[in-house]
Amino acid sequence: MLRNKDCVAMLLAGGQGSRLGILTRNMAKPAVPFGGKYRIIDFPLSNCSNSGIDTVGVLTQYRPLELNSYIGAGQPWDLDLNNGGVFVLPPYMTAKRGEWYRGTANAIYQNIGFIAQYDPNLVLILSGDHIYKMDYARMIRAHRGNEADVTIAVLEVPWEETSRFGIMNTDSDDRVTEFEEKPKRARSNKASMGVYVFTWAKLRKYLELDEADPNSSNDFGKNIIPRMLGDGQRMFAYAFNGYWKDVGTIESLWEANMDLLGPSLPINLYDKNWRVYARNPGMPPHYVSASSKVANSLITEGSVVFGSVERSVLFAGVTVEAGAEARDAVVMPGAVIRAGAKVERAIIAEGAVIGAGCRVGEPTGLIAVVGPGVTLEPGQTVAAGEQCCAESMPAKGGA
Amino acid sequence: MANVMGVIYTGEPNPALRELTALRAVAALPVAGRYRLIDFIMSCMVNAGVKNVGVITQKNYHSLMDHLGSGKEWDLHGKNDGLQILPPFLSHENTGLYSGMLEALSSNTGYLRRSKQEYVILSNSHYLCNVDLAGMIDLHVSRDADLTMLYAHQAQMSHSARREDYAYLNIDENERLTGIEINPTVPSYPNELLEVYLLRRELLRYLVDQAVANGQRHFRRNVIQRLVNEGGLKIYGHEFKGHYWRVDSVQTYFQMNMSLLDARARQAVFTPDRPILTKVRDDMAAYYGPDARVVNSLVADGCRIDGAVENSVLFRGVVVERGASLRNCIIMQDAQIESGASLDYCILDKQAVVRADGRLAGHSSYPIVIAKDVII
Repeated sequence: MLRNKDCVAMLLAGGQGSRLGILTRNMAKPAVPFGGKYRIIDFPLSNCSNSGIDTVGVLTQYRPLELNSYIGAGQPWDLDLNNGGVFVLPPYMTAKRGEWYRGTANAIYQNIGFIAQYDPNLVLILSGDHIYKMDYARMIRAHRGNEADVTIAVLEVPWEETSRFGIMNTDSDDRVTEFEEKPKRARSNKASMGVYVFTWAKLRKYLELDEADPNSSNDFGKNIIPRMLGDGQRMFAYAFNGYWKDVGTIESLWEANMDLLGPSLPINLYDKNWRVYARNPGMPPHYVSASSKVANSLITEGSVVFGSVERSVLFAGVTVEAGAEARDAVVMPGAVIRAGAKVERAIIAEGAVIGAGCRVGEPTGLIAVVGPGVTLEPGQTVAAGEQCCAESMPAKGGA
Repeated sequence: MANVMGVIYTGEPNPALRELTALRAVAALPVAGRYRLIDFIMSCMVNAGVKNVGVITQKNYHSLMDHLGSGKEWDLHGKNDGLQILPPFLSHENTGLYSGMLEALSSNTGYLRRSKQEYVILSNSHYLCNVDLAGMIDLHVSRDADLTMLYAHQAQMSHSARREDYAYLNIDENERLTGIEINPTVPSYPNELLEVYLLRRELLRYLVDQAVANGQRHFRRNVIQRLVNEGGLKIYGHEFKGHYWRVDSVQTYFQMNMSLLDARARQAVFTPDRPILTKVRDDMAAYYGPDARVVNSLVADGCRIDGAVENSVLFRGVVVERGASLRNCIIMQDAQIESGASLDYCILDKQAVVRADGRLAGHSSYPIVIAKDVII
């Protein structure tokens, strides 16, 4: 018999993130590296750990290998516990049937058994797609203060972007009166962040109702939330006003990395009272040589820099050889930029090798991407906006 | 699986290390930008499959306790064995301050008795190297040796300065040990003892008990040298051919850190197949501001640099403000150098602060040491 938990978090990490192109061909989006030291999932997991939520189910489906081994036993986030901890929850077979997660609500529905083990009062639903620091404990206090059935975290977005989000219309007490999915003409700019606190009994009831509805697409935003609102359940918005960045596209992933290079950080990653934890590769400090030039950049342990690095984020174990240049670049773990190569406005994925004299990206235009493990032959060119993966490489040795 | 346990003696206070070991054991010395000295021998043991490591501490062991924690960074937090921190057990014979390794071992014979492994690797902690201990264990077993000692062959011995507290080994062509010399004015043998010993656990217990029963105090003289001189046991040397550093003074500490600016030295110590593990701090990546000018330096995560840094080693979380300049410096964790300050040949201990426009210059032969938490 497991001891009760006040709140269990369920982190939806099954999405492919297809708009990230070749970066998510072999790994789920939450496993994509970010900000020199992290992977996207480190942010919600660290938020849980720092908010005192110590029981987290991570729902995986698409390409889970990278994510599973990264999460491991949860040690980096202090989630390796006897009572609670982090659990990877893939879809599974039962005696009667077995199926994939059909939608966000269905994924939670299939894991009602996991949540019920802890008999929690509340369930926190999270997604593994965003870069943000948030104290979920404060949101839970607001949920309790409002005697809410569900509380939805909202962020005020620029009015011109409201058509991309689920928008909450609220009354003066922050009670949600209306929910509009991607409205053409929004009446509010409070966008749902995909962070929900549910009272468990209510969530369970609506998951079961939703599952019984053959016309439902089993999605929180499309089905569960509108149905609860229609039934007059107490639904409140919780305003969040920190940094929150969706890194669902190549451009936004690149931008979010570049955000870390501004004179004032939009998200404080130095805060010793709110560390963002990550699995540590255990490498020595990085080395910057006598011939190199580094400015306005983030560089991580294990890297070796002989060339020039400007406005770039270098992850662990990156090599920049003499005469090589990285500018406005995101260079992921273990990548190598060989002598004389130039990388500009580009994302170089894990383990890629940019051969001597290559040109990747251009001073303007879309971001160029070199996929995980790709080796560019010396002198190759990758144009702005181009994504270069192993299959797209020109065949060696002529036609 | 290696049937070997490890015992690390963390050293006594060393006046030649000045303020650096005033409040910490030699083994707890911060080195190479993010490590402590003990990480190296401890990681070597773990990389050789050792699952039971005892760390003998004495007074001021707080920083070691904090650093080692439950041992989980080294995967030494299992149900069986794992990391054993052995603080002094105060009694009328034991004041909490050991005069050396022999006394330290004799205070911990209970741990040796309770352990189950057949062999023990015993190490002091003032050498820094990345040694393949698994190879040493294999050779020890296949030679059916009673005692194997790690040494380094020095093609060219420096006699310019008298080196204190060194031991030299006479090794024959079969690596059998035929003589040992401790602290000679001029060494007769070119083989420096690296103070790593491998022997049966029961033999070590017996040797320690016998030496103490006879009122002896010195491990190397009264145990090792006596065994060598008496003959009878099969004693071998095991040569370490890689880079190693002995840290026994501020000068050697400084040189050791600086030599890691050389790629070959770094590659010798930080090999991917035998990683050096340490406590993780979860800093963000180091940030270089628009005005940063950094050359030939090692920089750890969490640093924020907007000044000039040359030939230096920066530990985690160091801040170098705009207009500050560092040359030939070792700056430990969370130290701050404010704008306009200028430092040359300085070692700043943890959290030390040099205020704006401060100036400090040491010399390569005598780097200035600024103690922990000092504000200048």
